[in-house]
Amino acid sequence: MATITTNPSDTKTGDAPQSPAKLYGFIAEFETPGDLMAAAEKVRDAGYKWWDCHTPFPVHGLDGAMGIQRTWLPIFVFFAGMTGTIAAFLLQGFTNSWNLTIWAGVWVTGYPYLISGKPAMSLPAFIPVMFELTILFSALSCVGLMFLFNGLPQLYHPLFKSNRFRRASNDRFFISIESRDPNFLPRKTEQFLRSLGPVSVEAVEA
Amino acid sequence: MGHGASHAADLGPQNIQLPSFVLGFRNVAIGLGVVGLGAGAAIGFTGAMGTTAHHFWRAYMVAFLLGLSVCLGGLFFVAIQHLTRAGWSVAVRRPAEALASNLRWYWLLFVPFAVLWGMGKANVLWIWADMETLRANNEAEWHIVHAKEAFLNPTFFWIRAVVYFAAWALLAHFFLTNSTRQDESGDRAITERMQKWSGPAIIVFGLTTTFAAFDWIMSLSPAWFSTMFGVYFFCGCATAGFASMILVTVRLQKAGTLKGIVTSEHYQDLGKMLFAFGMVFWAYIAFSQYMLIWYANVPEETGWYLARQVGGWIPVSVALLFGHFVIPFVAVISKWPKRMPLVLAAAAVWMLCAHYIDLYWLVVPEIPHDLSSMATYAQVSEKYADTPTHLGNPVNFLLAIGALALVAAGTITTLSRVALVPKKDPRLADSLAFENM
Repeated sequence: MATITTNPSDTKTGDAPQSPAKLYGFIAEFETPGDLMAAAEKVRDAGYKWWDCHTPFPVHGLDGAMGIQRTWLPIFVFFAGMTGTIAAFLLQGFTNSWNLTIWAGVWVTGYPYLISGKPAMSLPAFIPVMFELTILFSALSCVGLMFLFNGLPQLYHPLFKSNRFRRASNDRFFISIESRDPNFLPRKTEQFLRSLGPVSVEAVEA
Repeated sequence: MGHGASHAADLGPQNIQLPSFVLGFRNVAIGLGVVGLGAGAAIGFTGAMGTTAHHFWRAYMVAFLLGLSVCLGGLFFVAIQHLTRAGWSVAVRRPAEALASNLRWYWLLFVPFAVLWGMGKANVLWIWADMETLRANNEAEWHIVHAKEAFLNPTFFWIRAVVYFAAWALLAHFFLTNSTRQDESGDRAITERMQKWSGPAIIVFGLTTTFAAFDWIMSLSPAWFSTMFGVYFFCGCATAGFASMILVTVRLQKAGTLKGIVTSEHYQDLGKMLFAFGMVFWAYIAFSQYMLIWYANVPEETGWYLARQVGGWIPVSVALLFGHFVIPFVAVISKWPKRMPLVLAAAAVWMLCAHYIDLYWLVVPEIPHDLSSMATYAQVSEKYADTPTHLGNPVNFLLAIGALALVAAGTITTLSRVALVPKKDPRLADSLAFENM
């Protein structure tokens, strides 16, 4: 059942002899989320670090089966949000100030508006803006850092070479182990993946 | 989904029926309720510990609203689950139905107010109940309230009160009986019927709680008005309801039931609800109401907040800001405290206390009558620097514990007669397999 093809998507013909293709890693194909979960637990326990699961839809509990650690993202987002709060407070405090000139690209001077007799430094009036900037900074940093941590945007990926892998966005479940993993030995890793009971195992070029 | 099929929850009687020893707690709760309300009334009517009739009736109103908000919160939860056709919540819906079922008898606790009206002394709470006295005491306020008499008059007030209680009792009864009938038959049509009526139910719920808040809290300061007020009280109901649901569910599991049915996934979602309504939404609407009034700075409106910014009310207002928002917000924002039943239960107890202080803060302070004769906030705060809150008066706690104990007794009674989980709900399997991302 399991087949191994070294270069399934290569349609190039008549090219000059190429240097031997570098191996990106192996992908193993599974038919159900349950099979994938069981296999992921074994890959995790085998000590692999540079590997991933690819599924057409979110599979509950997969992060536990993969042994994914808690992300640091919330810590960064917290401080980004606090930065937003403080920035909004300083911005409003400064714009309502007088006799205060700072350089922010150009020289700017605070200009106090008298609004319904309120003091220049009116915290209740500042809170909506402080709230909004907290949300804005948190949301932007959350999305931006999530992209950064995941190495996105990434317009190309070696796995795209595999025709078989296209079904990862349709009806199949894949595990990929990369060759840069310290535990990676081509023959051993391939046999290990096969021992997990996949539908197929395939090598993918870098 | 995924490996959800591996769940095989135990729906045997010992897991989904109230153990008989819990019925002993019901007798304790009834005792606490009778003793609490009785001792509170005794202190109130004898005037012990300097308790005036004026304060006693406010303390009773706070206690009445505390128990009411718990039941209304349960009703809100049940209706909103059917409205959204939620799957996750089936495992924890029965405790909410049981809390709401108290609305079938909770009107009894409103009867003392009827007695108060009957004795012609209602103006101890509702100063608009005696317009002649109001006119003699404060002509300016009388003018404002007089213009509202089409709404604020005794006849219409009591018609509305009857409508509220009838609507709540009917809705609570509808959802509980249909849900328990499905326990026998497993008929899907029952779920469809509850979903169909959950839309009108939410509309009726929204209107009745809003106007009840106007009648029973806002009209205590009849010249004052805030369109936000109904939402404020509704938010309190949601806070009390979710906190109580968490406590009931944790207690049921501690009694050895619902094992493998209610999981940390459900607690996490109940925690999210408590977090969303009790802390975030409360802070949002409380501040929205405050900021609009502060910014507009119209004397008829600011007096209400001024009354809460003098004397003993200053620390209560600050305590509310931190106790209802800042501290629990930070404590429960993470995932882990919501997934640990005992930590979540502690947060629920905390929020019930904060909700009590919130109600107390809404009901008890009084707007000084001579505000218009003073030019600045400094003058007001100096003159009223000694305003007492009476928050430490035992009558408050006796009445509050009495009302809550009766709600607890009613909840235990309902739960002892029904399964602790809607065992044949078509979405029960969804709920048992539910996992947060």
